[in-house]
Amino acid sequence: MTPAFTMFALIIAIFSGFLGALLGLGGGVILVPLLVFLLDIPIHYAAGASIIAVVATSSAATSVYVKNEITNTKLGMFLELATTLGALSGASLMSVAGESVLQTLFGASLLYASITMWTQMRNTNKSWTSMPNDWLADKLDLGGDYWDETSGEQVSYGVHHSLPTFLISYIAGIVSGLLGIGGGGIKVPAMNVVSSIPMKVSVATSNFMIGVTASASALVYLRHGYCDFFITAPVVLGTLIGSFFGARSTRHMQGLFLKQLFVVVLIVLGLRMIVSGAGIL
Amino acid sequence: MRDHKTMELFISRLMRASVSLSGVIIFIGLILFMVTGNNSGPVDVFELNWIMFGAPFLEPSHVIFLGFMVLVVTPLLRIVASVVVFFVSKDWTFTVITSMVLSVLVLSMILGVG
Repeated sequence: MTPAFTMFALIIAIFSGFLGALLGLGGGVILVPLLVFLLDIPIHYAAGASIIAVVATSSAATSVYVKNEITNTKLGMFLELATTLGALSGASLMSVAGESVLQTLFGASLLYASITMWTQMRNTNKSWTSMPNDWLADKLDLGGDYWDETSGEQVSYGVHHSLPTFLISYIAGIVSGLLGIGGGGIKVPAMNVVSSIPMKVSVATSNFMIGVTASASALVYLRHGYCDFFITAPVVLGTLIGSFFGARSTRHMQGLFLKQLFVVVLIVLGLRMIVSGAGIL
Repeated sequence: MRDHKTMELFISRLMRASVSLSGVIIFIGLILFMVTGNNSGPVDVFELNWIMFGAPFLEPSHVIFLGFMVLVVTPLLRIVASVVVFFVSKDWTFTVITSMVLSVLVLSMILGVG
């Protein structure tokens, strides 16, 4: 464990924390491959460091977002109910399909989500389409508004198709329970495309949810000693720094640009999942 | 509604304080490790009591572990705070929803730890 190693781990974590907070992905999916390929850290330890880093991303980002009143706490709690239930059933399910099959399926759904987002952007040239609350969202008062820094106006939005997004969050929970990854890559597209929620709100709310799910697993990881403290410490510090900046940047970015960046990252992650599921990497 | 927003802001300040605190603790632990080179790893350090009161406090791994615990507990406390906020705002539906989230989390922790 040389100072150089610590520096590299810190820099990698700043990068993944920034991107994770900016896009609502949590950052684990970016962090783990970087740690494994660039620093030769065994995947086992990389995953342990990553689960704590995801909590760091989420908590750092959420404290910035809620202050800016972008995070929709009610929507987050509503969907989090589905995610935690999913994670619980996922973790207790005997893996019917093998892990590689799951990875491939997950990769394919990420690609599908990115194509859907891309098509929507091409057709409407907007980062989201405004829709009123559906009956359930109306009953639960899920819609909201936020101050959009880039357009300089208060943006109101409704939550459309709240039940389908609830179900997708449940599936995202199962997947993260089985594969040990955060479901940001599924939740953000579901909120943005299926439920017609502005991109910034989807990202902020996803960041909020990811940390809640991850904190439970992180405690279990710590308890079982799946964490090398001296790898994890610089990773967590870097992630905290990167996430604070990432979350602050979201506010100043055009929703459309944010969505384009999201699609690009999602395609890379999806392809990586498929390749890794096929056993090539 | 206004009250609700004020409380949410208060929670977010608390969260930020707690996240920053964990960052500072982990940083101190890491510096201690770099200076002393003492990396005696923890075998089973889950007993918080021991960490807080009984441990040789300046051992780097203990300091870092304490920082991790502060960090990881933050989102859970945030949920607890939300239950309180919804309850105080008399939003019964969301008091129930948020309590259910909390219960499922605790359940999965118990199952995972067991």
